[in-house]
Amino acid sequence: MEAPAAMEAMVFWAAAAVMLVATLLTISSRSPVYSVIFMILSFAATAVLFVGLDAYLLAAIEVLVYAGAIMVLFLFVIMLIHLRAEEHEGLRLDPLAIVVAGTFLALLSRAVGDPGPAVGKLPNDLVGSPALVAETLFSRYAVPFEAVSLLLLAAILGTVVLARRGRGA
Amino acid sequence: MITLQHYLVLSGMVFTLGLCGVMMRRNVILVMMSVEIMLNAANLALVAFNKHLLAGADGRTGPDGQVMVFFAIAVAAAEVTVALAIGMLLFRRLDTVNVDDVANLRW
Repeated sequence: MEAPAAMEAMVFWAAAAVMLVATLLTISSRSPVYSVIFMILSFAATAVLFVGLDAYLLAAIEVLVYAGAIMVLFLFVIMLIHLRAEEHEGLRLDPLAIVVAGTFLALLSRAVGDPGPAVGKLPNDLVGSPALVAETLFSRYAVPFEAVSLLLLAAILGTVVLARRGRGA
Repeated sequence: MITLQHYLVLSGMVFTLGLCGVMMRRNVILVMMSVEIMLNAANLALVAFNKHLLAGADGRTGPDGQVMVFFAIAVAAAEVTVALAIGMLLFRRLDTVNVDDVANLRW
C-alpha cells in the first residue's frame, strides 16, 4: 500500500532528525552507557527509515539484531569493564580529525550530487516483503548465505578461544 | 517528495559522525560503536538505492540490495563479537580501554 506523500515526508524528516541527533549524542556522551542508549535510539530511527523504503524484513532485523542483540552485547561489556571515573571522557576535538571529517563530508556531498543515472523506480512496493527477500536469499544468494553461517561459527569459536586464553591458560 | 538524494545526504552525514567518533574518542568500546554507526549508515544507503534504482544490470528487479544489507548485518554481528572479546582481553591484560595506551605495535 502506498502511503500519502505528505505523511511519507513527515515520517522521513522526523526519523532523520532523531537519527542524526541520537548519533551525535552517541559519539559525544561522556558515559558509555548513555552512548549505548542513544545508539539504540539511532537504530530505531533507522528501522523507521527502512519501513519508509519498503524494507519491512530489514526493519525487523535492525531492531532485533542491532538494537537488541548487538547493543546488549556492548552493554554487557561496558558493565564488565567497569570504567574508572577519570576514563569517562567525551569527544576530544582534534583539529586534524576535524579537517579529515570535513574533507570527507565535502567529497561525499560531491558524490551525492551526482548519484549516476536513475534507472527507474521499482515497479511495486512489495519488493521488501519477507517472502520475496527470503526467496532471493535462498535461491540467488544461497551460497553466500551458507558462507555467512560459517563466518558466524568462526566468530563464536574465536570468541571462546579468546575468552579461555584470558583466564591465563 | 522524498528522493534518493535525501537518504544519501542523511547516510553521508551519519557516516561522517561515525568517522568523527572513530577519530575523536579514545575508549576502545566507543570506537567500535562508531564503526557500527558507519556500517549502519552504509546499510541505509544500500536500502535507499535498492528502492530508487533497479537492482541488477540485467534489468532484473528484486530486493538484492536488501539481501546485501542482511549480509552486512550478519558480518557486523560476527565482527562485534570478536572485537568485544579482544576489548575484554585488553582490559584484563593491560587494565585500560584507552586506545592511546595500546601502542605496542606502533613503529
